[in-house]
Amino acid sequence: MTMLPERAPGAKKLGLVIDLDTCVGCHACAVNCKEWNTGGEAGILPDYDKYGPEPDGVWFNRIHSYETDGQGCSRTVNVPRSCLHCEDALCVTVCPTGASYKRVQDGIVLVDTDKCIGCQLCSWACPYGARELDEEAGVMRKCTLCIDRIYDEHLPPAEREPACVATCPSRARHFGDLADPDSKVSKLVKERGGVDLLAGLGYRPTNKYLPPRRATIPTAPAKPPAPGGKGIGAALLGLLDKALSR
Amino acid sequence: MKPAASVLLLTTATGFGFGLLAWLGAYSMLGLLPGHARVLVAAGVATSLLFASFGLGASMFHLERKERAWRAFSQWRSSWLSREGVAAVLTYPVAIAFAAVFWRDGPVIETRLLGATALVASLGTVYCTAMIYASLKPIRQWHNRHTAADYLLYAVFSGAVLFATLRTMDLGAPGATASAAAATAAGIALIAKRAYWRHIDAQTPLATLAAAIGLPKGIEARPLDAPHFTENFILRQMGFAIARRHAVKLRRIVLVVGFALPLALSILAGLTLAPMATTTLAVACTGVGLLLERWLFFAEATHVSAVYYGRRI
Repeated sequence: MTMLPERAPGAKKLGLVIDLDTCVGCHACAVNCKEWNTGGEAGILPDYDKYGPEPDGVWFNRIHSYETDGQGCSRTVNVPRSCLHCEDALCVTVCPTGASYKRVQDGIVLVDTDKCIGCQLCSWACPYGARELDEEAGVMRKCTLCIDRIYDEHLPPAEREPACVATCPSRARHFGDLADPDSKVSKLVKERGGVDLLAGLGYRPTNKYLPPRRATIPTAPAKPPAPGGKGIGAALLGLLDKALSR
Repeated sequence: MKPAASVLLLTTATGFGFGLLAWLGAYSMLGLLPGHARVLVAAGVATSLLFASFGLGASMFHLERKERAWRAFSQWRSSWLSREGVAAVLTYPVAIAFAAVFWRDGPVIETRLLGATALVASLGTVYCTAMIYASLKPIRQWHNRHTAADYLLYAVFSGAVLFATLRTMDLGAPGATASAAAATAAGIALIAKRAYWRHIDAQTPLATLAAAIGLPKGIEARPLDAPHFTENFILRQMGFAIARRHAVKLRRIVLVVGFALPLALSILAGLTLAPMATTTLAVACTGVGLLLERWLFFAEATHVSAVYYGRRI
């Protein structure tokens, strides 16, 4: 059913918390996501024109790099972008077939690829650009929050987290239950002032982003200028200094 | 947004078809159809269903998995696309019953009621189509109060032009009421289109890049590196942009061909100046003009997700 489920009291709200302060933009999360999901239960994540001039394909996670101004310095901010598993997921309610749905028990938004007709309306409804058409199978694909990892009891408990989180070398990605105020992720959001992307549109995304912190690198106070002497010698030295500094 | 031929044909052709059915229904409801109009009603309903079927058939080409299209009737509780399908399918038996009963009994209370039902069903379907677009929050040019009203207006307008042609075929002239209705509808549609363009030109983008990536106020962001070197599905669909100067030209063509010419031709037809030629030409102009108008409706629409790629939204 594409009606959004009534959230049961105590139901989990699984999602990611992504730290824009520590993300180094290495794309390892995107690569591991692609690797896991192309071989996992969800089947092939297709690539087109693989060895040609215009390679393209389906990615659940894409990493953008931006340059920002306004904190007293210019800096690079890397932004991994994937499905945010919104609470008011318009991609779910617009689906005419019931292929797109939000799970009651944990809030994960999924596509039932056996029901999808590939009308692509859900991709139009998503402001984050998180849904892509699998042009080989003719169905929509999206981040599953690695549902085939996080609940897999054959995996050691420490590995039951999404592939992107498991691989992040700078620990910029965190996975957990955002409905539980005492969870690691909820605390992180509280401490660091985690935000919703495009909050004004009202999708109430589950995933949160931790804004880059203001850089406060302690530096030694600037040295006072060397005391300049008086007289013709100092003036000549000054001239020489000027000429050499050109 | 990338204009897809299948969707342009769907919305334009169903607009003609359901618009024509709405006029037939309205005329019958108001008792404006005499007993000898049964040929007009039968031919009119057949024409309207032909247009609607052509449009709905074209929409199938937008689906990647056509064999599963039947599933699209299931989610009418939440999805306007599903509601459109259900409403379209419900309109067919109503239209056929209307034509059949009118053929047998002429203008009686039953056909007046069936006409009213056909009117509601056809315009209801057009409304569902419009709401598919109007409900999409990431697209500011669609998610506004103009979209639904405009789709209804253009359906009523194109239906009126088609209705005038059918009446000319039946009676030799469209008659004062039908041609006045077509001309008036063209005029209102023209005003509505200009109001829509004024509205979207005055809008501000839904978000800045900085807000889209959750940066605090006062910080500005510029794209540095895109995720990949090549285009992708999102950019092909949502990143489609039309050059401003092309849009200005196309808007003028739409106003002249799509609205002003049909308006003038409908007046000429009303004055019984070569009514067959003028009404047919009016239909052709309306068809070309509205297809172009629909193309612009997509091409000028921007999707907020393109902001992540630094594109204009």
